Amino acid sequence: MKKEYKKLMVIGSGPITIGQAAEFDFSGTQSCRSLREEGYSTVLVNSNPATIQTDPETADRVYIEPLKASAVAKIIEREGVDGILSGMGGQTALNICSELAESGELERLGVDLMGTQPEAIAMSEDRELFKETMERIGEPVPLSRSVHTIQEAIEAVKAIGRYPVLVRPAYTLGGTGGGIAYDEQELVDICARGLAYSRIHQVLIEESVLGWKEFEYEVMRDSKDNCIIVCNMENLDPMGIHTGESIVCAPILTLSDRDHQRLRTSAIKVIRALGIEGGCNVQFAFNPDDGEYRLIEVNPRVSRSSALASKATGYPIARVATKIAVGHTLDEIPNKITGSTYAAFEPAIDYVVVKIPRWPFDKFRTVDRHLGTQMKSTGETMSIGRTFEEALLKGLRSLEIGVRGLDRVDASDAEIEEELAHATDRRIFHIAEAVRRGWPMEKIASATRWDPFFLSKIRNIVRMEEAVAKGPLDRGLMLSAKRMGFSDESIAHLTGRPEAEVRAERKGMGISPVYKMVDTCAAEFAAETPYFYSTYGSSTEARPGDGREKVLIIGGGPIRIGQGIEFDYCCVHGVMAVQEEGGAAVIINNNPETVSTDYDISDRLYFDPITIEDVLNVIESEGVDGVIVQYGGQTSVNLAVDLGRALEGSKARILGTPPDKMDVAEDRRRFSKLMDDLGVLQPESGTGYSFEEAREIAESIGYPVLVRPSYVLGGRAMEIVYSTDELRTYVDTAVKVSKNHPILVDKYLTEAIEIDVDAVCDGEDVYIGGIMEHIEYAGCHSGDATMVLPPFTLSEEIVDGVVSITEKVALALEIKGLMNLQLAVKDGRIYMIEANPRASRTVPFISKATGVPLAKIGTKVMLGKRLRDFGLSGYSPVRHYAIKASVFPFLKLPGVDSILTPEMKSTGEVMGMDEDFDVAYFKAFTAAGNSVPTEGGVYITVNDGDKERVLPVARELRAMGFDIYATKGTSTYLRERGVETATVFKIDDNMKPNAIGLMREGKINFIINTPSEKSGPVRDGHKMRRLAVELEIPFLTTVQGADALVGAIAVARDREIGVRPATDFHG
Amino acid sequence: MAHSYLVLEDGTVFEGESFGFRAPAFGEVVFSTGMCGYQESLTDPSFRGQILVMTYPLIGNYGTDSPFCQSDMVHARALVVREACAEPSPAYGGRTISDFLIEHKVPGISGVDTRALVIKIRTMGTMRGAITEDADSIEDLIKRIRGTPAPSEGNLVGEVSRREVEELSFGRGVRVGLLDCGAKSGILRDLSSRFDVTVFPYDAPADAIAESGVRGLLISNGPGDPSHPAVTSTAARTVEYLSDRLPLFGICFGNQVTALALGGSTYKLKFGHRGCNQPVKHEGRVLITSQNHGFAVDEASLEGTGLVADQFNVNDGTVEGMRHESLPIFTCQYHPEASPGPWDSSFLFDRFAKAVREARL
Repeated sequence: MKKEYKKLMVIGSGPITIGQAAEFDFSGTQSCRSLREEGYSTVLVNSNPATIQTDPETADRVYIEPLKASAVAKIIEREGVDGILSGMGGQTALNICSELAESGELERLGVDLMGTQPEAIAMSEDRELFKETMERIGEPVPLSRSVHTIQEAIEAVKAIGRYPVLVRPAYTLGGTGGGIAYDEQELVDICARGLAYSRIHQVLIEESVLGWKEFEYEVMRDSKDNCIIVCNMENLDPMGIHTGESIVCAPILTLSDRDHQRLRTSAIKVIRALGIEGGCNVQFAFNPDDGEYRLIEVNPRVSRSSALASKATGYPIARVATKIAVGHTLDEIPNKITGSTYAAFEPAIDYVVVKIPRWPFDKFRTVDRHLGTQMKSTGETMSIGRTFEEALLKGLRSLEIGVRGLDRVDASDAEIEEELAHATDRRIFHIAEAVRRGWPMEKIASATRWDPFFLSKIRNIVRMEEAVAKGPLDRGLMLSAKRMGFSDESIAHLTGRPEAEVRAERKGMGISPVYKMVDTCAAEFAAETPYFYSTYGSSTEARPGDGREKVLIIGGGPIRIGQGIEFDYCCVHGVMAVQEEGGAAVIINNNPETVSTDYDISDRLYFDPITIEDVLNVIESEGVDGVIVQYGGQTSVNLAVDLGRALEGSKARILGTPPDKMDVAEDRRRFSKLMDDLGVLQPESGTGYSFEEAREIAESIGYPVLVRPSYVLGGRAMEIVYSTDELRTYVDTAVKVSKNHPILVDKYLTEAIEIDVDAVCDGEDVYIGGIMEHIEYAGCHSGDATMVLPPFTLSEEIVDGVVSITEKVALALEIKGLMNLQLAVKDGRIYMIEANPRASRTVPFISKATGVPLAKIGTKVMLGKRLRDFGLSGYSPVRHYAIKASVFPFLKLPGVDSILTPEMKSTGEVMGMDEDFDVAYFKAFTAAGNSVPTEGGVYITVNDGDKERVLPVARELRAMGFDIYATKGTSTYLRERGVETATVFKIDDNMKPNAIGLMREGKINFIINTPSEKSGPVRDGHKMRRLAVELEIPFLTTVQGADALVGAIAVARDREIGVRPATDFHG
Repeated sequence: MAHSYLVLEDGTVFEGESFGFRAPAFGEVVFSTGMCGYQESLTDPSFRGQILVMTYPLIGNYGTDSPFCQSDMVHARALVVREACAEPSPAYGGRTISDFLIEHKVPGISGVDTRALVIKIRTMGTMRGAITEDADSIEDLIKRIRGTPAPSEGNLVGEVSRREVEELSFGRGVRVGLLDCGAKSGILRDLSSRFDVTVFPYDAPADAIAESGVRGLLISNGPGDPSHPAVTSTAARTVEYLSDRLPLFGICFGNQVTALALGGSTYKLKFGHRGCNQPVKHEGRVLITSQNHGFAVDEASLEGTGLVADQFNVNDGTVEGMRHESLPIFTCQYHPEASPGPWDSSFLFDRFAKAVREARL
């Protein structure tokens, strides 16, 4: 039975971070749609502009505000909200609701917390309460003790009796601050960190179940106590590796029915004992030697695992949890997949799902790659197959890490042994290598603690590699290889032929994939839902369309640094636009967290790898008319040229900008020539095919220079080098330079202002969606920079120049659809940095700032509409400020320096909007998870070039009553100019007072530290920056950023900050 | 590996490879959506006469082990899978499904596009089919399939029921009867933790049961058509006779026999319910149940029998259980003993125990 509410609020999860990715855009969006279906008025709050849920279409009122309890309370009050769904925005939303409940705000405002109640949240999140509850119902948990001090931790280990022990902080996400302690020293270190991160300063010291198997159950419960299991999952990696870091398969494959039912029964007992109404995730450790199990963890909300379970089964957990929250019971909620059954059942699946994490180690080369209880991955791929091998190989080639499958690794036996015992992201490749070397299965199994069942699957793949390489590749062998998930590219590689030839030969043998449906019921009931995956079998279920024009939108794959949720946003808008134009939209993607892979977004969803083979297969099977390659980030752009070629002579064509013109934008040489022809300035540059060539170029244009390999996204391996020595180091460590892999050398424009422009062009007219000025100088990757829309320091003349360049370039590149430009302004001149012939990561930000849905317009233009049909042309700046700030993974990834460089490091973004620049900045800065200090001490240490610029900042801070601390050089400089400054020692001097000591004492509340003009980690600064990250002290590495923060401090001290719906800003 | 073929009565042929025992087979082709529990299903007497298709594509992953058996033999006539695991997890001993089938002399066929097969059965209804390695005989085989009655038209219960009365003591003090129409060992397990049990053949004389001193009777699951004369003339008569003398609990086939005994009727479902995920509405709550049946009780036919359908399948509304208006008789169409499947409904055995206790007072 539905309850009466006036207005319901859904809280999002904020920026993408490690541990909280796009899954909460998926769940929040589904939740809002589900509420609207029920006729409720909805309010959504989220600080992340790159989400579908912050679209005006998702909820009746959308607030893009910092996710802080205070802001949420203001929105509740302003909107008259009388119910909140706490479980859709991950730990962030749950924490806000707990805070509002504890402080009595919810009661004061007369708001119901719907679904899972605060007591249930506390019972599952507070380790001690959880343990008590489990003991009461007779369910086993690891021996453990909650502690609040290090001394208590040491005593707890005595009681448990042995090392290693796990240290788990309460109330954190993604296991932040946790770890495994093998001795007392490690215990002390980890506890110190964990206590600091825990919202309630509590950590749990726990019996180790390392090496046990790890299983997960996704459970739903309604108000009538009906309970079902949506899905269960098996972690291939044993306990000790966070489930977010583990390769996972669904369903569980190595448990007998009896043991499965034991865990199922336990999971249901748990959800009942906790009184959760909605969805929850229950994690078990299972000892295969004696069948003992322990309950490890319960998440009383939708989670990354539940997103995976939803995509793995077709069961919409967030949607159903929402219906439960408003009072429906499972047997009242229709199963939308079949259309004829209800949500009260347990999905039966008839395929294997494999999830593989995507790690950022390609970007962070200095980070420890070992996997443990703390999450380091940014995203994941999901793949579906009718064999385990098929699902695994599909998953591997979906990762976008340049592998075809179980690619060979070049490693010694000792290295392999080490890798098997101490997993990194590369373990699975080392397992395959060990198998190839004929290592006994028992040895591999005991080192990895993988069930031999999975190892034998890897052996099957290795044997198939050998068989294919040996030949002859007759029809039988080809079919076997395809059924095992081998790509044409793999077969081509193994047989030393071009991929296209293998494809032609395969098709000649009559071997093509079939498409099977994901239907929640293993085909027991007829289902209408168009959710498919490819496999090799005897019949296909993808029926022809209804005559509408079919457009395939190629998705963006797993979330990684440089390619975030923004591209999924664009894909979803592409789908909506195609549908609005009367076409049928087909999606291919492999990221289970996203909205684009929700089965009821597109007309057809293909959950498959995004390679030329898989994309062509879908195009052929579907009879696609047009393909959009502009929305899946570099994943889809990289396919453009090959796809264009492969589609020649078929009815399908690439929509929008011609692939050859996209290539011009991507190919430095062709692009430079075009810029010269157009009279657009570029920093001097050259392409070096060897170190010597690169050195010559660098010397002729003069250091500093920006160096990078060709064809990159997210500035991979991009660096500023200041000398030949540094260039040498770069070439030796970061990239391999060769004839096929040249490096690009650009003049680095020091102290230049960087600008991003996003535009739509229809071939004749150009509409400039937005011009964004970076707060940081050029040289900080645009994905990391703080951006302001519209420009806040540029002259009208410069803006006109930017507009004119944008128009010229768009027309010259024959852009049809979207284009992004990165420009730099120095000494009144505008330089072209790069042009991207695709949707950029700022497209959703601009759309949220201006109310103009760029991605939709871009799609419609690709489909043949003209910009003038929408009344759009030229450039007209908005009258308010929208500021985008970035969120960084420094806390989760020790070893990454927090200095901003040309290499992208951020995982996500937030937005602040206001007419007043300082208020907008305040909102963006706080939404990014920083606190704005209003009093206390500031530590300033800047390079010589920045001293003059930092002076007014210091003066203003001093005037506001901040204590200024600085090392000798800076303090002398400031004092001589009348700013009272305390001098401290450099950290390396090992004398007190120094910054580290003051930080620990809590005397420093924020830090301005600009690195010296030498690249590479400056040790002094690095140590301090690391500590700042750990103590969560705001840290600014540019004077421009510091200057903006001073404005925000003034706002925080003097003004009451209001909340406003995003649409208020749109004209 | 040898090629093998699954041939359906409508002429459809699925190609695959032999595993398990190498022999031809004939039976009714049915599918189960359970994702594990393959060994329990193979040994469940209710699968007598049937060729079992598992919808889950990977079968045999965790091997086979004797405690999982629901009887001492494999009752299914053949097993059809997408893939039979050759190297199972060693967790339960590591014995392969293929070896298990060889021991029980039952053939298997793997490599079949089982999903395509299931869609066929779902659309056409349960069909007769056969397995052969002889490609040349297929045309002939189709004719033979069409000419052979489905095994469920025979007296399958007679093949699986115990021949003799067995008295089993577990020191429980209270004795109940189990009318064995093909009882899974899970039922005996759940009874034995509460009662001493006397197992009766399905055709045991009713008065013998009444006079044996048992305080209640559980009518078990079993294969085939409950309205077969061999059943209506025996078990159903027994149930009718005992209905006002003992508390009765019917499971699956036992539910159908109870309906028939008291004047109701049954019918054949298009393709049955087989799996571990069937939702049943029971006293306002949803139970996820284990099911394996091809026939169902016709609700309308219960009018005037004293029986009331009080449990229904959430998906298709079919009768999932009954109780008697005035007598201590209740039934369920699903399997509270699970094996395989969820344990949500195991409390029904406690209900039976309560009914037995109360009937003694």
